[in-house]
Amino acid sequence: MKNEELWQAALGDIELSISKANFITWFKNTSIISNENGRVVIGVPNGFAKEWLENKYNTYIYKALRSFQEDVREISCVIHNPQNNSSGEKAAERSQASSFNRDKAVESNLSASEPSQVQAGTQQSFDYISESNINPRYTFDNFIVGENNELARAACYAVSQNLGRIYNPLFIYGGVGLGKTHLLQSIGNEILRKDPKKRIKYMTSERFANELIDSIRNQTINEFKSSYQQIDLLIIDDIQFLAGKEKTQNEFFHIFNALYQINKQIVLSSDRPPRAIATLEERLRSRFEGGMIADVSSPDLETRMAILKAKLAEKSFYLEEDVVKFIAENIKNNIRELEGSLNRIMAACEFGQKAPDMELVKRTLSDLISSGKKKGVQQNHVVEAVANFFGIDKKDLINKGRKKEISRARQIAMYLMRKELNASYPGIGSVFGGRDHTTALHAYEKINRELETDSKLREDVEVLTEKIYEI
Amino acid sequence: MKVVCTQEKFKKAIYSTERVVGKQITLPILENILLETEGGMLKFSATNLEIGVFLKIGAKVEKEGQITVPAKLLSSFVNNLPTDSTISLEAENQVLKVSSGSVEGSIKGLLAQDFPIIPEMEGNFLFSLNAQKMKESINRLIPCASLDATRPELSGISWIFSDSKVFLAATDSFRLAQQIIPIKKEQEQEYNLFVEKNNSLVVPANTLAEVFRVVGPETKEIKVSIEESQIFFQIDNIRIVSRLINGKYPEYKQIIPKQFATRAIVSKDELLRAVKIAGIFAKNKTGEVRFEIDSDGGQIMVYSKAEEVGDNKTVLQSQISGPKQEIIFNPRYIVDGVQTIPTERVVILVNDNASPAVLRMIEGSENKENLDYTYVVMPIKA
Repeated sequence: MKNEELWQAALGDIELSISKANFITWFKNTSIISNENGRVVIGVPNGFAKEWLENKYNTYIYKALRSFQEDVREISCVIHNPQNNSSGEKAAERSQASSFNRDKAVESNLSASEPSQVQAGTQQSFDYISESNINPRYTFDNFIVGENNELARAACYAVSQNLGRIYNPLFIYGGVGLGKTHLLQSIGNEILRKDPKKRIKYMTSERFANELIDSIRNQTINEFKSSYQQIDLLIIDDIQFLAGKEKTQNEFFHIFNALYQINKQIVLSSDRPPRAIATLEERLRSRFEGGMIADVSSPDLETRMAILKAKLAEKSFYLEEDVVKFIAENIKNNIRELEGSLNRIMAACEFGQKAPDMELVKRTLSDLISSGKKKGVQQNHVVEAVANFFGIDKKDLINKGRKKEISRARQIAMYLMRKELNASYPGIGSVFGGRDHTTALHAYEKINRELETDSKLREDVEVLTEKIYEI
Repeated sequence: MKVVCTQEKFKKAIYSTERVVGKQITLPILENILLETEGGMLKFSATNLEIGVFLKIGAKVEKEGQITVPAKLLSSFVNNLPTDSTISLEAENQVLKVSSGSVEGSIKGLLAQDFPIIPEMEGNFLFSLNAQKMKESINRLIPCASLDATRPELSGISWIFSDSKVFLAATDSFRLAQQIIPIKKEQEQEYNLFVEKNNSLVVPANTLAEVFRVVGPETKEIKVSIEESQIFFQIDNIRIVSRLINGKYPEYKQIIPKQFATRAIVSKDELLRAVKIAGIFAKNKTGEVRFEIDSDGGQIMVYSKAEEVGDNKTVLQSQISGPKQEIIFNPRYIVDGVQTIPTERVVILVNDNASPAVLRMIEGSENKENLDYTYVVMPIKA
């Protein structure tokens, strides 16, 4: 039984034994964090709940859990905040990037050079953003080129030199924190550098949708449309969030067409290629595919080291070669994490007035790289993510069936367990209905081999890897 | 339970704990105070599950025991007692008998076993702060904290630790106040380790308001510890624990300008009066007041106008360096900022009419700018 189901079942039992008020007060926002070898760790929202559950309700919890899972021996509570997951962090970072990171002087220059649509007398806030929304920090000069992003960077640069004439639309896709936003913003900055009079708009698709909704409510839809149709370069980040929003897609389609017909440049980004965005209207999909599509993938070790060195130079900070290598080897998937760990090391050094030697770095990053994986992700997450992704039943995945689609999915699941969780081959075998460890080994090697040549498979695995951590 | 203690101590203990109790419909026991005997002392506890408070006072314990009674009732009863030296308490069958001098009362209570357990510290105190300085600072910062529920991290006060100081800040994204306060390490090694791991946190503003309400004029220091998403304060004999706000506080340090084009020193009282008057003429809450800083004439003109009301202007004498400036503010934000400044004179620092402006204290005859406290406000875009 999954942790979530187990906890729901146990809560059902507990609810009957205590008063409703107590139940709501103490069990709200609780969950099972881990469940291993009979030790169950329950995540609670605050210290009061921790004390109460450990001291007063432990027998209720124990009994309830025991009735569903017999080997429960020990129960403990930790204070756990569910916002701490990756999506929350990304949102926080994004809002931070858009609100406080600006160089004020550049920002006001930018806004002064553009037709101001801000009404007279609006209170500015610190997260006041100039109309173009371009962050001057991101330029082509400080973008590190590696094998993983060569094509995307070249395409973006070409677009910035030849606005609207070569690749239109330009579609960039790739995983979280790999530099899509950097590339997109670089185009904007390059254009503004050459000609500050050009009208540029950088938007996330979420913001686009919100503005559209506002304009519908305020009955200013025509102004909204015409404001978009007057710009020279439209950049929409994270276009995948348009999926499922039909009205927004419809409006976007018209704006897209209007701009496209008069050769205005459009640049889009997404975490997956257009054909992999579910519920995207066919006519939009075909238009997205009509221009140039380029991907950015995870950087290799050398590129990661180059990125770290560039960041170090930018921050005028020095790290030994082996320390740089250590960080690059351990923080693999995401450039944002790479920068974050560097910031942590700098803070630690600055504070302790210590040299950033290997020991300090290891200690500072210990919780980031404990075996390089996030805690709390378990094998059943992988099974579930894979089953959902391929639209098959979890049971089929585990059982003996040898249908081609199912065995393929099973191999991918085995590969992910090995790669993401470092699970042992015999362990993987036993998850999948007691298969032999050689089966797991074979699956891992097969997928690993195919990944090198099969780009469709690579995309699937990337999306799946993210899905696992989302569950 | 049977206890006798001085009325003065008892009243003070009730005063320090009762404010914390919540208006809880789901769990009525949270409206109560827990009274219990512990080690020959009388212990008071109250909580709303966000903050917990407890303290102990010296008392003559005749019989051990515990009871919880409604805080509001107990407090109103005790406050109206005629002054007498002692107060005696007796709890039996969930009824608390309180008697002092010629007055007696019986208050119905609830089972003490159902009262929430207030988390206790496991380690030692990490550092301590000057209580008076802290109280003054927190009162300056609290008005700037946001009430916007969509960004919970802004409803708290940010603490960023460095080796010997803590940077406190509050913002609602229209204005920001920052105060730097020295700290004294209680546990050198543990503190260093804590800061190395995580040097910033966000404490709910209402907790801090509560903490510093119980700081009296004779309180010298506040000891602080941070454990597992919770912060502990020790103020004299009172212990307060609060949850921390989860979420990343914005990197606010970058928005405080490092340099300023124009620097204008004025009398605080005159500035406050001028902006208050301008606020009357500025229409509604989002009114506008225009500052014209005239460096040649050495004066600042504070001006506001509303079509349907009228207009006004005040001319302030000022020591100005740097170019002329014209900048528009929301009068409310300026009043909030100026009111937090205790010195006679204040400096207004401006770059241009679209960048954040700063207010700081001016101390001594040499016009020294106090850098420990900074109030940043965004102008209104013309």
